[in-house]
Amino acid sequence: MSRVLRNCVVVLVALLWFVPTYLLLVNGLTSVHDYSGSPNWYPNSFGLFANLRAAWNTADLGPAMANSLYYSVVSSAGAVLLASLAAFAAAIMPVRRRALWFWLIYAGTLLPLQVFLRPLFLAYANTGLYDTQIGMVVIYIAIAIPFAFFVLRNFAVTLPSEVIEAARLDGASWWRLFWSIYVPLSKSAMAAAFVFQFVAVWNDLLFGITLATSRNIRPIMAALADLQGNYSNVGPPVVLAGALVVSLPTVIVFFLSQRFFVSSLKLNV
Amino acid sequence: MSVTTDPVRGRSGLPPARPEHPRAAGRRAAALWRERLMAGGFLLPAAILVAVVLLAPFCYTLYRSFFSDYTRSTFNDLANYGAFFTDPNLLRSLENTLMWVGGAILLPTGMGLLIAILTDSTRWSRAARLAVTIPYAISGSAVAVVWNFILTSDGAVNSALRGLGLGGLAGNWLLDWPGNTLVMIVASSWQATGVAVILFMVGLQGIPPETLEAAALDGAGPWARFRHIVLPQLRPVSIIVIGMSLVNGLKAFDLIFVLTQGGPGRATETLAVSMYQETFLFLRPGAGAAIAVLLTIIVLLASWTYLRRQLPTRGKV
Repeated sequence: MSRVLRNCVVVLVALLWFVPTYLLLVNGLTSVHDYSGSPNWYPNSFGLFANLRAAWNTADLGPAMANSLYYSVVSSAGAVLLASLAAFAAAIMPVRRRALWFWLIYAGTLLPLQVFLRPLFLAYANTGLYDTQIGMVVIYIAIAIPFAFFVLRNFAVTLPSEVIEAARLDGASWWRLFWSIYVPLSKSAMAAAFVFQFVAVWNDLLFGITLATSRNIRPIMAALADLQGNYSNVGPPVVLAGALVVSLPTVIVFFLSQRFFVSSLKLNV
Repeated sequence: MSVTTDPVRGRSGLPPARPEHPRAAGRRAAALWRERLMAGGFLLPAAILVAVVLLAPFCYTLYRSFFSDYTRSTFNDLANYGAFFTDPNLLRSLENTLMWVGGAILLPTGMGLLIAILTDSTRWSRAARLAVTIPYAISGSAVAVVWNFILTSDGAVNSALRGLGLGGLAGNWLLDWPGNTLVMIVASSWQATGVAVILFMVGLQGIPPETLEAAALDGAGPWARFRHIVLPQLRPVSIIVIGMSLVNGLKAFDLIFVLTQGGPGRATETLAVSMYQETFLFLRPGAGAAIAVLLTIIVLLASWTYLRRQLPTRGKV
């Protein structure tokens, strides 16, 4: 009896949860010409590619996706590299005022992003970084470093000190220790940090609308917000198709890396 | 040679085991200095970037929040902060932020725990879990697009209600306060529950089945087992889930900005949205800075009080 009830609740919750995803799929696939003005509950035509073309033309989704891909990969890789250097030093090398270094780098995650916006906007406008790809990469690297540092440092602390001691006695330099021992051992932690930051940068809207404006610079979420602003002009199916294609990279990354993801979350518990 | 593994104090600064020759001691000191210099080289790129791009702007915002918004901005001590008690828009924004925090904690945590427990241990319910975790991979902006489609006046909810003969229940979901803020919290929870489910699953798998079997043999019913074994074991995970939800609720921005842009009027703004609007739309950077600083204080205070009460030890640092 209780098992039946339990299964019913599971099915009901799952269905309820799936409805928005289902509507996104069905209506994103519907061709604009067949869209009657009220939502479709079952697929009645296939216009995904026409919708994507329309979204592409209205909001330049294509270039924006290329931008975001570039920002996500370059900034996450850069942040993970810099953060792993710092984590290695902060956990393993003889450093004075360890706690101070830790908080200096980690403090960035504690502050809401809004607090950086206007000064960055002004500084970018004054230095010519406003509305440039390098400017976007710089802010995304800086934003990504603190959390990556936190994850990698937590990992570095767990490395057995005997390994480091032995290598030091054999005369290995810190640089060599970093590349030949630390990096290979912390590969999975680095991958987890990379995935986290990739998703965070891909999903960013705030800096995308503040620090960039040109269509060939702005990231994908700014373009999607723009497309949503044209909701009634281009037709809901086009906007939904845009949301669908914009979500694909994070959905794929998320499901490919779920194992890393879960184990790195365990690391933080 | 023994080595301390304390993460903060570290491995350096150990006294030599026996008195050394002065020249050897000098060489040791020089070597130590070289090492520290080297460590600085490892730390500096990350530290400089964070200091210049994040911490310096924070200090500037803090400074700016004490100055007025006239063309020649003058020091006006706490006037920008005082605006919170006189500007109805900011009061509403504060109110909405509190609603977001409450909703963002209760819904994903409660639903996440429920779904994790219901779908644990049955094989077929992986599909159900998938339905709940997919939205987590969708970005806040895309979630806003989907829910706009569902909630607009000629959207999916109203069309479904009319189709079921319940047209009387159809309403303007996004137009009337506080309903519009509440439906956006539901939309955000639709997305955020996925990660809570994943985390609670991790926690559930960490509970040794022997404990539960032993309790069952001792005659503990399902509710008693849940209450006295499962729930206490899930405590560390719950701390993480609630802490994440707390911060997410406080920082709510993307969904609101894309879905309603804070409107109609400024009815659905949260502090995060108000800051953006005041600074970039109404060109009142002083007021915007004060909101950003207030938000920072609330986030820091909330995280600190929450974590201090919840974490048994003083944490890892």
